[in-house]
Amino acid sequence: MSSALANLREAGEAVLRIAEKRGVSEAEAFLVSNKVLTVRLVNNAVFESKGVHDVGVGLRVLKGSMLGFSSTADLSKGSLEKLVDAAVATAKARKLPFKYSFPKPDKVPKVSGVYDKRLAELPSEKAVDVAYEMVEASLGYDKKVVDNAGVLNIVDYETLILNTHGVSTENYGTFFEASLSATAKSGKEVSEGSDATAGRSLKELKPESVGEKAAEMAVSGLKTHKLKADTYTVILDYEPTHAIIGYLSMLVSPLFAKLFSPLLLDKVGKKVASSQVSLVDDPLMPNGIGSAPVDDEGTPSKKNVIIDKGVLKTFVYDSFYGAMEKKRTTASAVRASLAVGVSSFPGKNYNCENVPVPRNAYFEAGKWKREEILEETKNGLLVQRFHYTRLTNPTRGDFTSILRMGLFAVKNGEIVGAVAKSRLLDNLSNMLVNVDAVSDKLIVAGSWGDYTHTPVIRTKAHVLSID
Amino acid sequence: MEEDLALFAVGYAAKLGADYVDVRLEDHYNELITVADGKVQRGIINRKRGMGVRTLVNGAWGFQSTTDLTKKGIRQAAEIAFKIAKASSRHVHASVKLAPTKAYKASYRIKVKVDLEDVAFEEKLKEIMAWEKKLYTSKKIVRGTVDYTGIKIGKVFVNSEGANIRFSNSVTWAGLKADAKKGVVTQFYEKMVGHSGGYEIFQKNDMEEISVETGQKAESLLEAKAVKTEKDAVVVLDSNYVALLTHEIVGHPSEADRVLGREAAWAGTTWWAGKIGEKIGSDYFTAYDDPTVGGTLGYFLYDDEGVKAKRKVLIEKGVLKGHMHSRETAAIFGVEPNAGMRAITFEYIPLIRMSNTFLGEGDWKREELIEETKHGYLISCMRHPSIDDKRYNWTISAQEAYEIKNGELTTHLRDVALTSIAPKFFKSINAVSEKIELVPLPGCGKGDPMQSLYVGNGGPYIRGVATVLGVQ
Repeated sequence: MSSALANLREAGEAVLRIAEKRGVSEAEAFLVSNKVLTVRLVNNAVFESKGVHDVGVGLRVLKGSMLGFSSTADLSKGSLEKLVDAAVATAKARKLPFKYSFPKPDKVPKVSGVYDKRLAELPSEKAVDVAYEMVEASLGYDKKVVDNAGVLNIVDYETLILNTHGVSTENYGTFFEASLSATAKSGKEVSEGSDATAGRSLKELKPESVGEKAAEMAVSGLKTHKLKADTYTVILDYEPTHAIIGYLSMLVSPLFAKLFSPLLLDKVGKKVASSQVSLVDDPLMPNGIGSAPVDDEGTPSKKNVIIDKGVLKTFVYDSFYGAMEKKRTTASAVRASLAVGVSSFPGKNYNCENVPVPRNAYFEAGKWKREEILEETKNGLLVQRFHYTRLTNPTRGDFTSILRMGLFAVKNGEIVGAVAKSRLLDNLSNMLVNVDAVSDKLIVAGSWGDYTHTPVIRTKAHVLSID
Repeated sequence: MEEDLALFAVGYAAKLGADYVDVRLEDHYNELITVADGKVQRGIINRKRGMGVRTLVNGAWGFQSTTDLTKKGIRQAAEIAFKIAKASSRHVHASVKLAPTKAYKASYRIKVKVDLEDVAFEEKLKEIMAWEKKLYTSKKIVRGTVDYTGIKIGKVFVNSEGANIRFSNSVTWAGLKADAKKGVVTQFYEKMVGHSGGYEIFQKNDMEEISVETGQKAESLLEAKAVKTEKDAVVVLDSNYVALLTHEIVGHPSEADRVLGREAAWAGTTWWAGKIGEKIGSDYFTAYDDPTVGGTLGYFLYDDEGVKAKRKVLIEKGVLKGHMHSRETAAIFGVEPNAGMRAITFEYIPLIRMSNTFLGEGDWKREELIEETKHGYLISCMRHPSIDDKRYNWTISAQEAYEIKNGELTTHLRDVALTSIAPKFFKSINAVSEKIELVPLPGCGKGDPMQSLYVGNGGPYIRGVATVLGVQ
């Protein structure tokens, strides 16, 4: 046990003792030590390097049928007493209209490839150098590349979940995020490209590859032509497909369905996508970007098939939403802060209650090779990046994204040129129903701290060039 | 708070060899209540206390935060901030220089009538449940949601130049949403109430009445007509819609780090980079950012670099006048720093952020804008934005609209969005009302790791030309 975990355990056991003395029926402490090192790159240079070491505890208490929550970053005895008082105060106000109890101890599976000591202990000087290698690789790729900006985040987290039923689960992991945006210029033409990847170990971190891919996209985007506004066959490369998975992951959460978009409410058992689409959540995946042996309330991880061949099979639940909606937990508890003005870092956060969301969601691989999808597209677009993606009408699923870079015309199976900045304007449900190809390989793609394992898909969408 | 700890951190980092150090020592109290479907979805109290140490070493920035406020913990944070700044300096092409500012010593606090912690959590929750209940104005309302947030922050800022500023802040807001359904038609309506201050805002306003209005609005949208696309239509925008428009296509592109391309990999850049002094809009188009407007979510008197706040003129009668700055970007532009830097907590390095960004007033009465429009649309209340990276091409949806015919509001319209090109729209503004309104806008995202901040935005009613999109 690391010294950080030993300190967390001491605080966690203390807080449960205090809670029991205050007469709560059940208590659960979620304790976190989360280190994030960020190197930001701007204008071909290191702009700033910054670190955070976030340590704290989130406490849930049940007093009869009343549920409360509070958190603190101060693990001193006096502070822990105040923490319990605050949690009890919130419980007094929140009587649950259904029966609820915290998870009971269960056998915890093992998940491999989620922690790498070398990544956790990478010296900050070395991290700065690794980040800068992305810039060097991009500038070295082509003289037309004139500017680069990006980020390297390295996260090292440890969590401990203790509850009064005897749940006691330790969880630890590492991951990195490396991304770069490159700008290329040729005469008056300016083009952008980007690449972003994430992984759980240092050996997966390949800064040269990120730099070169960003530069390649930027250079190949020079000399664009405008599009006629129309409905096109669109090949959504890894990153845009990741964005679609991200939206679907929210839509299958009973909480987000209520707060944000009810698009899939009442659709369980119904067709919501083409039969090519299966959305799976597997936090047991070795080396998975969202993998962990337990969810954020200590329930052992399990694989969930959410959409099976286009049919919505289930929403995802933690124990709380499961109890509310009379469903079993799908081990989908995630401590994700929805609050403005509250810190929320890559890694683990303790300052919020669980919300039910898929933890390592992906579209199941299809039968197509990526190049086959391209080859068998007669007239369409290859979309490599989404930006500013929104459900403009979350109730109906109206969907838009700016295609700012990495947009190419495809004719008779070949890329025939770059397309100027455009807007995709369609409906998410329609796009899912129209998926007719899914690639056979998944890679880790995403942006801004949010990554998934994702294939390439092909669908139809309305696209128009914009100024 | 033990100010000595902050001064200790500054002294220790300076002793290590940092050329400049600033420290924010902060106490945070946050409460969040979410009620939906008649049930409490979340009820949370968070407390956090800690310190952020920012260093400048050989022209490069380093930063480390800690919640370990022992001298050992502070020394460790200062050492890491120093070490990573030094490591970064090996890959810096242009050393950071800071525009000079006075080392202010000040202490100020938000005026609060009812402290957020003086109203029992239980009491708040009961009230919020009652607001949510009132959203259900008929069986057509299928879902109600109320999201309440209260934040208190005690902050000490000190730096190696001698600045010493204390700020006691308190902000709170509540968002209400009603989802309505009739057959296959689904609609929703949202309202937001908030300010800098205490819980008194929810006592001053009749929140149950606001809930009823929200529910009724959602219901009315079920009967409204879906708008049809019309290119280059005359549009009158209400202050609430102007708030989001200003946020997205005036506020964000005015951030000097975006202008310099420093946000290129994240939020994007700015189409008006290098255009200071150029005419980019009509004479009716003036915009400010002003943290000193009391009662707003963006209120402060000194930013997170200790710079004294003042009104920034961003655009004056259509001419681009200036940007929002940090001390660093002010030095690059050769201007005075203007207090643009904020971080959501001590755990984050400050960034250039909006405070209260709004359009300036004109001399039209609101009703005159409509009366003197032969054919057009009144666009009311913000919904969702989708803006390109340069803040040039914009699309923003609205909660509702009314067709204007011969100076009168006629058909009630739903599913409406506007789209245009920023300079084209700015040049089309031909009438501005005399009264301005600022609205709370929580949830402005920027940075990596992301910092979700609360700001104020708004302006008068304005009239211009944009394409009305029927959202399909």
